[in-house]
Amino acid sequence: MPPLRDKFSIHSRAVVCQDVEMRGDITVGAGTVVHPKAAIFALVGPIVIGTNCILEEGTILVNRRKEVMRIGDENLFEIHCRVESPVIGDCNTVSTKARLHHTVRLGDFCVIGAGCLVVPVEDEVLPDYTVVYGPNSERRVWSGRGKLQEQDLRRKHAEYLREMLPKFNRLRRSE
Amino acid sequence: MNTLPVVNYVKSEYIETDTGNKVSRRATIAGAQNIILGGKTIIANAAIIRGDLRRTGPGHAVVISLGRYCLVGEGCVMRPPYKTYRGNFNYYPMKIGDHVHIGAGSVVEAATIGNHVEIGKNCVIGKFTIIKDCAKIADNTILPPNTVVPALSLFAGSPGQFIEDLPETTQELVEAYTKLYYNRFLPVES
Repeated sequence: MPPLRDKFSIHSRAVVCQDVEMRGDITVGAGTVVHPKAAIFALVGPIVIGTNCILEEGTILVNRRKEVMRIGDENLFEIHCRVESPVIGDCNTVSTKARLHHTVRLGDFCVIGAGCLVVPVEDEVLPDYTVVYGPNSERRVWSGRGKLQEQDLRRKHAEYLREMLPKFNRLRRSE
Repeated sequence: MNTLPVVNYVKSEYIETDTGNKVSRRATIAGAQNIILGGKTIIANAAIIRGDLRRTGPGHAVVISLGRYCLVGEGCVMRPPYKTYRGNFNYYPMKIGDHVHIGAGSVVEAATIGNHVEIGKNCVIGKFTIIKDCAKIADNTILPPNTVVPALSLFAGSPGQFIEDLPETTQELVEAYTKLYYNRFLPVES
């Protein structure tokens, strides 16, 4: 395996705290907020994060594949979740302590509940509006009601964090 | 009860305040000016406490207040809950009473936690949860947002559900246990 080359490009409107562990080739889009103690590891291929995402404390993003790991816009990754999926669409929520294996791909507007494991043996794409919930990681489809409210909350949350985080935390800048 | 082992820690790893709080140097504490510790509270290694997520508005805002004889276990995350109210996004303060133990690896986003509450390991306490006095949350419990846990009840499972009532002596037992734990959490030189 070739040695890791660190290459970070962080958009000037993104907020990435100093206390974030980053390895490899990482691109962070405009307006994305990364809380302290998150970790982003592009072990082989690069990771590209879209705009207005929120990565909370203890979130771990890992890319072990050669291909680019693409994360869409306005996704929320809550505390201590671990995500290895190669493709993630827009407006998804991965809740606290949830885990996504490298065989899953997410569409748009999916919700992975707190503590859920999504670890299929074979490659699988979760269609849009899938909700994974409960101790056995059962699935059902969301009607999409309250979607606009959810998006609005997400947008205001990101806006608030972009304003407040720099007041209390040191930020990492693109080199 | 008296069989509780002595927990030793390296003296240089913890900061002890004059009210007896013991805070690990390896804990992440953001916005420390917005956090109140009641005294004799222990914050273990790798805990994360977010005092920077404060309510917007002028003046001083308390974000997280902890009572006396509390324990924040290893790798715990404590952060205040958020919501939009009348179109404005805000974080709301989190209040925790006295004699509250939070087990290792738990994530707490509660609005209020009463006195003499025990929370197990690897729990997830959802946003705006209210936990009343002397309640107990078992290990690996996931409480969904806005749950209310009544006094003297044991909650467990995913989603967390009522399991049984706790005896009325819970208050004395928990109080004795938290005091004993604090007294046996002792420094060693080196």
